[in-house]
Amino acid sequence: MTTPLKAGVIGTGVISKEHLSFLATCPHAELVGVCDLSRAAAHYAAQRYGATAAYTDFRQMLTAAKPDVVHILTPPQSHKFIATECLKAGAHVICEKPIAANHQDFEELWALAQECDRHLIEDQNYRFNAPILAIQDLISQGKLGEIKEIEVRMSLALRDGGRFADENLPSPIHKMPAGVIHDLITHLIYLALPYLPSFDHIRATWSNHGGGTLFKYDDLDALVIGGDVHAHFRFSCYTMPETFSFKVRGTAGYAETDLFQPYIRAVYPRGGKQLSPLINHWVNGADLMKASVRNFRNKIMQRTPYEGLKVLLDRTYTALVNGTDLPITYEDMERTSRLIDALVAEENRG
Amino acid sequence: MKLLITGASGFVGKYVVAEGLRRGHEIKAVVRPQTDVTRIPWHNHDRLELVRIDLRQEAELTTALAGVDGVIHLAAVKSGDFYDQFAGTVMATESLLAAMKTAAVSRLIAISTFSVYEYQQKRAHSLLDEDSPLVTAERVVNRDEYSQTKLIQEQLYREFEAEGGKVTILRPGMIYGREYLWHALLGAEFGSVLLQIGTRGILPLSYVENCAEAMIITAESETAIGQTLNIVDDHLPTQGKYTQELKKRYPAPKLYYCPWVVMKSIAGFGWWINQTFLKGGAKMPGIVVPAKLHGRFKPLRYTNQRAKTVLNWQPKYSFTASLDRSCGDLELLKV
Repeated sequence: MTTPLKAGVIGTGVISKEHLSFLATCPHAELVGVCDLSRAAAHYAAQRYGATAAYTDFRQMLTAAKPDVVHILTPPQSHKFIATECLKAGAHVICEKPIAANHQDFEELWALAQECDRHLIEDQNYRFNAPILAIQDLISQGKLGEIKEIEVRMSLALRDGGRFADENLPSPIHKMPAGVIHDLITHLIYLALPYLPSFDHIRATWSNHGGGTLFKYDDLDALVIGGDVHAHFRFSCYTMPETFSFKVRGTAGYAETDLFQPYIRAVYPRGGKQLSPLINHWVNGADLMKASVRNFRNKIMQRTPYEGLKVLLDRTYTALVNGTDLPITYEDMERTSRLIDALVAEENRG
Repeated sequence: MKLLITGASGFVGKYVVAEGLRRGHEIKAVVRPQTDVTRIPWHNHDRLELVRIDLRQEAELTTALAGVDGVIHLAAVKSGDFYDQFAGTVMATESLLAAMKTAAVSRLIAISTFSVYEYQQKRAHSLLDEDSPLVTAERVVNRDEYSQTKLIQEQLYREFEAEGGKVTILRPGMIYGREYLWHALLGAEFGSVLLQIGTRGILPLSYVENCAEAMIITAESETAIGQTLNIVDDHLPTQGKYTQELKKRYPAPKLYYCPWVVMKSIAGFGWWINQTFLKGGAKMPGIVVPAKLHGRFKPLRYTNQRAKTVLNWQPKYSFTASLDRSCGDLELLKV
C-alpha cells in the first residue's frame, strides 16, 4: 500500500462536487484542504467531504497543508496565477478547463511546470466517458476505416436562466475572449483532436443571436481542415434538446453518440454488402433500446455525464503514485489551446 | 428608524417594506440591479431609498449600510441547484454580515424558516415550538436544498451574534398571500394537478401582512434581541379547511387526494428499497423521500405564544380575513 498523495482543492463551485466526491473515496488521495474565498463555502465543502482543514487563502493552504496535488477549480482568468503559485510550492496541478486564458499563458505555465519538475494536467474529462472510449475502440479496430470527418455539437440553453444568464451579478466567464463559449469550447476541441492531424484551414463564425451586452457570443459555427480530415464544431444556445453529440465518419463507416443521453450508433460493414444495412438497423435498434434502459437507470442512480472525470482523476492519481504516464499529455493540451486561440482569432478577421 | 431590507422586491419583502413605511420608518430597500420595481406602489415613496446591488458585492453593501439602525434580511434563493441556492442564500448572507461588521451595524432581524427543524423524528401531532430540535448537519442532506442552505445561514447568524451582533431570528411558518395561495404544504404539484397529502393536518401558516408586521415590530423591539421566535397566525386551519375556504374564493387546480398515512408508507417503502437494494444511491421524487415528506406534510401542532409575548404582537388578520384580502381587489401594498 503506497502513501496517499495529499490533495488540496481551490474553488468550491458546481464542479467541485465531482472532484471532492472522487477525493473523498480515492485510496490514492488524502484530502488535506479545501479553499474558497467564501469561508462558509470552504467550511461546508471541508465538512461535507471530510477534508482536514478549510482555508480562505490558497497560499496559506499551500504552506500549512503542503498538498502534493492541487485541483484548481476557480474561474479561468485566475488559473495561471494560482497554478504558478502551486507549482512553485511543489504541488502537481490538475486544472479545470480552459487551463489558461490563451495559448501563450499555457506555454508559460507548462515551462514553469517543467522547471519545477511538477505535472500539469487540464481536465479533459469527456475524453474518458464510456461512449467516447467505445468509439475510440471501434476506430482502433479499424471498423470505421480511416477517419475523414468529425462533428462535435453542443447545445445548451444558457440563455434561459441559470448562473450564466444572471445580469445582476455577471459570471466572470463573460469576460473571456470567447465569452461564455470559452467555458465549453475546450470540450468540443479535445474530442476532435485525436483525429485531426493539423490545422491547415480554419473558419469560424461567432455570433450573438440573442443580442444584448451580457453574452459576447451565444453561437459558434467552425470548420477546421487538417490534411484531408474535416472537423466541424457547433455550439448553440437555441437548438434543443440540450445535447453534446460527437460523430466520426471514416472510409468504412461512422459512429455517433450524445454524451448527455448516451447511446452509440455505429454503422459499418457487417455481414456483406446486401445484408449489412439490415444488420446495422437491427443492431443499432437493439443498442438504442438498451441505452434507453441504461439512461433511465443512470438518471435514477444519479450517474451524470461527469463519469469521465472520475476516470480521468483515477488514472491521474494512479499514474502519479506509480510514476507512469499521465492520461493527458502536453500535446493534448498544447493543441487544444492553440486551436482555441486560432478559432478566437477568426473572430477578429472581420 | 432607518431600516435596510434585503429581498425587498420579493413576495414577502414587498409587504415588509410597505409595513415599515406605514409605521413611519425610513427604508433602504435592497433589490437586484435589474429588478423592475415600477409596479410596486411604494417604489417612489419619499421615505424610501432603493439600493440596487447584489448582496455578494460587499463593498457596495458596506456603503449602503451607513447610518442604518437595523437590517431585516429576507433575501434567499429558493430555486436552482444546491450551488445556486448556496451562493444566493449562504454567500449573500456571509457578505451581508461582513459588511454589517465593517459598517458597525449590529442589529439584525434574520428571517429563517420552519424548514430548519427536525420533522422525521418528531411524533405526529406533537408540538413544534422554538425549543424543538433543529435538523442536524448529518440528516439535512436528505432534505431539500432550501433546508440545507437555510440551516447553514442560521449558523452564520449565530456566529454574528457571538461576535456582538444584536440578532433576532424569526422563523415564519408557511407564508401565504395573494401571490402564493396554493402553497407547498397542501400537496405535491404535477403540472396543473395538485395531489393533496392529508386533510387533517394543521397548517403552520403566516399570512404575509401579519408576518410583515411581526418583522417590523421585531426591528422596533429591544426585548426581541437575542430571541428566536416562530411566527404563525392564530387559530390555524387544517389542510382541508384551508382548501375548502380557498376554493370558495379562488380558482383551484385539479385536486386528487392521498391520505398522509398512505403517502408516509409509500415513502417509507421507497426509502427501504433504496437503502436495501440500491445502497441509497437512487434519486427519488421529493414526496417519496421520507425526510422531505415529513418536513412538508407531517401533522403537528404549532404555537405563536413566545412571539406574541416577546413582541407584544397580535396577528391582525384572521384566517378568513386573510383569504378575503388575498382574493379581493384591495391594493395591499399602498402606503
